[in-house]
Amino acid sequence: MGAELVTVSTDTQFVHLAWKEHEKSLENVQYQMGADPSGAVSRLFGVYVDGAGLALRGTFIINPEGTLLSSDVSFFNVGRNIDELMRKFKANLYVAKKEAEACPAQWKDDGDKTLTPGPGLVGKVHEALTK
Amino acid sequence: MSDAPSGVQLGQPVPNFELATYDPVKNDFGSVSLEQIKSEGKWTILFFYPADFTFV
Repeated sequence: MGAELVTVSTDTQFVHLAWKEHEKSLENVQYQMGADPSGAVSRLFGVYVDGAGLALRGTFIINPEGTLLSSDVSFFNVGRNIDELMRKFKANLYVAKKEAEACPAQWKDDGDKTLTPGPGLVGKVHEALTK
Repeated sequence: MSDAPSGVQLGQPVPNFELATYDPVKNDFGSVSLEQIKSEGKWTILFFYPADFTFV
């Protein structure tokens, strides 16, 4: 889909290899597994936890021009929903092509209703989304 | 969350960074950088997590 997914933890690349070989649920993984043992990249993105030496659960979407467009960070024990990540990624792809439009809360995929912000829309979002 | 300010902001350019990687498709070690992904015209999705061999 024109995106490079890279996972990152403070484990070394050697641990990633071992984990990939060991854990059945990683069988079909094709993305690159990034290693950040020094924490430099985790610190850059504000997800490094000093005491633990671990990264928080953070997901960041960067466009091909290098601009950060989405940031989502949670504490350790709640996992992320991949459908939500795909929704956000597709929405970002869409608005990158259609700069005058916005993807509202209910937008899930190409073809869903979008909004075109402007004076005509003020107070009329309900009508725009239900017509 | 750590108290140190992060070096990135929404809507702002992200500084280049580089990561050593394990590539399961090539079954080899390598590296990836933001500049390299940008030069391929691709989006970058970074997915941080605490540790291998753990859950969630």
